[in-house]
Amino acid sequence: MGNVASVQKALNYLKLENEVTKDAVRIEKAKYIILPGVGSFQQGISNLRKDGLDAILNVQVLDKKKPFLGICLGMQLIASIGTEPDECEGLNWIQGMVTRLQDTGKRVPHLGWNNIEVHDSPFFKNIPDLNFYFIHSYHFQVKDESCISATVNYGMEIVAAIHKENILATQFHPEKSQQAGIQLMKNFFEYFA
Amino acid sequence: MLKVRIIPVLTFNGFGLIKTKQFSNPRMVGNPVQAARVYNSRGVDELAFIDIYASKQKRSTNLPVIRDILKECFMPVSIGGGISTLEDINNLLKIGADKVIIKKLALTNPDLIKEAVNFFGSQCITIATDAKKYENGYFIYNEFGMLYDVKEFIPQMEDLGAGEFIVNSVDNDGLMNGFDISLILQCEKLTKVPIVAVGGGGLPGHFTELFSKTGIEAVGAASIFHFSQYTPNDIKIELNNNGIPIRVRV
Repeated sequence: MGNVASVQKALNYLKLENEVTKDAVRIEKAKYIILPGVGSFQQGISNLRKDGLDAILNVQVLDKKKPFLGICLGMQLIASIGTEPDECEGLNWIQGMVTRLQDTGKRVPHLGWNNIEVHDSPFFKNIPDLNFYFIHSYHFQVKDESCISATVNYGMEIVAAIHKENILATQFHPEKSQQAGIQLMKNFFEYFA
Repeated sequence: MLKVRIIPVLTFNGFGLIKTKQFSNPRMVGNPVQAARVYNSRGVDELAFIDIYASKQKRSTNLPVIRDILKECFMPVSIGGGISTLEDINNLLKIGADKVIIKKLALTNPDLIKEAVNFFGSQCITIATDAKKYENGYFIYNEFGMLYDVKEFIPQMEDLGAGEFIVNSVDNDGLMNGFDISLILQCEKLTKVPIVAVGGGGLPGHFTELFSKTGIEAVGAASIFHFSQYTPNDIKIELNNNGIPIRVRV
């Protein structure tokens, strides 16, 4: 929901064939999987489960190691546990909990362009300006720090990007981040080409 | 560090861009799709498009035009005007709007704001707060004869889950005489969600004044871009020179 149209626009701009689907056969045939999404955690995960997409994604991403890009809620949903609005289980690919931004001393949602701090990561090359567009009220507290490939400061340190094996996920919106975002998406496809 | 956002706010009548003064005397100022293309090429932080006559004329906004506008934009875009149902919101989000800007519904059917928040998430629900100054304070400018104090309106909308407020000074609209700082100072105390100040930006110095005197992190403007030589980038250079965190093009 929501940002699907924008992600498609970015993919079309990169001249990458793409389609929006919940069909198991189409997902099985795809070379890459992108999970965008805005809205609440609970709504998002129940939408996935309703269509049996959680099981399909588990097979494709965890067993078959298909390259996966999660964006915003699509990053949060791979956590063990979400809390929006109530506590519920996520896909549990990356251990940790998604909780509301609190005690930042700042306005919530975290909304606007913010510069990220890149830890050693192949996905952020050729991006001279590391400002990306954020819009979120919840954040992913990742247990295994070695999975964190970028952070952002907003009154506290927040995980901005996660990388583990074939999984890349971003809290910010690359599809809305102009050149920086387009380049990041390009880097994702090239890295897993 | 979070950068302040400079947002061109483009008002249109469903077809062409128009600009008002104090919410009246609309003047034609161009083509919305062309404007979107120009602002996209300039890499602006965000754009807002508002069909300011849709609600008054009891029509939905012109979706084909909005679709053409969104095709040009690789930055976040908010769309407003004529939103009266959840389906209207869904139609806009589906074609790539990031946020919807709502005013009439907030005044006439606040329960639907809560429903929209539950369904689409608070991050995409922006409430337009058109504030007009009277002797006893600021009130929401509206055509329904409602007396609604801004001091009550903003906290009520935040309770319903609003994700952002666009606070527009009706008195300064189109006059390019500077922002209504006292209005913004009052509003920022009323809510913890982001505020976009609009109305009165006519010179780069007005923007420095706004961000120096208030704690908000976003501003919208129209006339300065339509009627002066200044571009969003000129304002950014000015802000950058004054030590205000801003995304400058590299």
